[in-house]
Amino acid sequence: MTFLWTGLAASWNFYSGYCGRLSIGHAAFLGIGAYATALLYANYGISPWIGILVGGALSAIVALIIGGATLRLQGTFFVLSTIAFAKILETFAITAKGITGGSLGVLIPYTPGFLNMTWSGKLPYAIIAWAYMIIVIAACVKLEKSKLGYFLKAVGENKEAAENLGVNSSRTMLKAFLISAVFTSFGGSIMAMYVMYIEPSFVMSMGNSVQFILLAIAGGLGTAFGPLVGSFILVPVTNILRGSFPSISGLHGLLLGLILIVVLLYRTNGILPALREFVDNQRRRAKNDIKS
Amino acid sequence: MEQVIQALISGILSGGIYALISVGLALIFGVVGLVNFAHGEFLMLSMYIAYWVYYFIKLEPYESLLINLVLMATVGYIVYKVIMTRVLEADHSMQMLLTLGLSMVLQNLALMLFKADYRNVRIDITTDVINIGFTNLSTARVLAFIVAIGASVALYLFLQKTYTGVAMKAVAQDGKAAKLMGINIKKIYGQAFIIGTMLVGLAGVLMSPMYSVFPTIGANFSTLAFIVVVLGGLSSIPGAIFGGILIGIVESMAGYLLGPAYQQAAYFLLFILVLIFKPSGIFGRE
Repeated sequence: MTFLWTGLAASWNFYSGYCGRLSIGHAAFLGIGAYATALLYANYGISPWIGILVGGALSAIVALIIGGATLRLQGTFFVLSTIAFAKILETFAITAKGITGGSLGVLIPYTPGFLNMTWSGKLPYAIIAWAYMIIVIAACVKLEKSKLGYFLKAVGENKEAAENLGVNSSRTMLKAFLISAVFTSFGGSIMAMYVMYIEPSFVMSMGNSVQFILLAIAGGLGTAFGPLVGSFILVPVTNILRGSFPSISGLHGLLLGLILIVVLLYRTNGILPALREFVDNQRRRAKNDIKS
Repeated sequence: MEQVIQALISGILSGGIYALISVGLALIFGVVGLVNFAHGEFLMLSMYIAYWVYYFIKLEPYESLLINLVLMATVGYIVYKVIMTRVLEADHSMQMLLTLGLSMVLQNLALMLFKADYRNVRIDITTDVINIGFTNLSTARVLAFIVAIGASVALYLFLQKTYTGVAMKAVAQDGKAAKLMGINIKKIYGQAFIIGTMLVGLAGVLMSPMYSVFPTIGANFSTLAFIVVVLGGLSSIPGAIFGGILIGIVESMAGYLLGPAYQQAAYFLLFILVLIFKPSGIFGRE
């Protein structure tokens, strides 16, 4: 699960982290991926491997529409529109009972096999999640060095200035939003196959969107490995908390909220940049020691 | 037809409450420039105060109004001093995430302390109705509507007529200029934040005889209030009042015509359409 969450947080980071436009509606794409895969497989017996791609394609289309419609929106407005969009999709998933099974959700049949992307052990899932994580992080690393990445950062910092320098801001934002959405959708598909059961409030809730953000921010916003650090620290911690104090519901949520506040108040950059700074300082000190 | 009118009236009545929640948010957003995602959690807090006061010392929510408002003002003051003062200069997305974190903390704290149970304040007025000829209206809702609109209008007048109010408007328009004119901005920010919190506290009191309170009740109202505020043209108080009523009507009509499941989706859709075609809000100036 840590791998999966890392991948999801990194997918979110791909767009919002680098360009600074927060999407609190990314769970919608998680939902599209999860539902596309689960429904195609449960109802028509289509292999989840194809379902993943279908979900990705669907997410791409939706991302184009939503991304295109919200391009002009700035700051607060964009954030709110992503929430609204996710809520609409969630409502659709709950009310369109004929298609999605409503709030009862979809139960994925258990027939192990490679083609069905279903196994009895956890290891294959871990490998898939791991591969997923590697791909997304690799994409982020590549993004940092690519034209798209520089454009994205430039647009995030100052849209007008970037446009004056010849950056097509709409294209840049749309492209990144689309890639981010497709990656999130892939993560949703994997999650659906791992959990074997999906329902709207599980995959599409705002809580998921907030979780992506939290992991990415705690680790380091707009850095390729930030989500990795954030997830590897926070996901196990919350799981242990959940496991050790099952009677105190809300404890892990409280902790996550507190971490979010503390990170934002004291280390606006997240854990990873803070670590880097620390290491740099140590090195510098070591050098100074040698000199003196 | 009668049912349509009934749905319409019911929508207007809920709209009053939405308006009251939203004017508090609009004030904080307009004056302090803070996007407060924890606004709904303040509402939850106020409803829990009303509930526990009723539970322990049998004071009805209306009677404990003063206690409630004082407590809410204290909460507002602490939150402002401890958290908000540090991020006044930060950019909007940081502020939003911070208040999102705050809302998570408050929500989960409530979950830990009070469990996920739905708690009701059942008093006489809960079941009381007023007959207006063809239909019955819940007394609590009518009362809530009147007080909510009254308080919103009072806030509007406060901003127009008093020195502090005008200073708030000045800060909202141009913080730097206001500072140069000798206005203590920090103080005005604090006051606006506390007034906003007290307004949502009042909304909580009015709602507690009608709605059950549970830890996540605030989440829906936060987004709802934001939508109202954006529809109303951001920092505009009259805009927030009309926006609130409009959302109430849209919600109620969608519930009547399409089914209760579509209530939320209807106003979210309206919101997205407005954002795309008229981002300055329905009642906002270009």
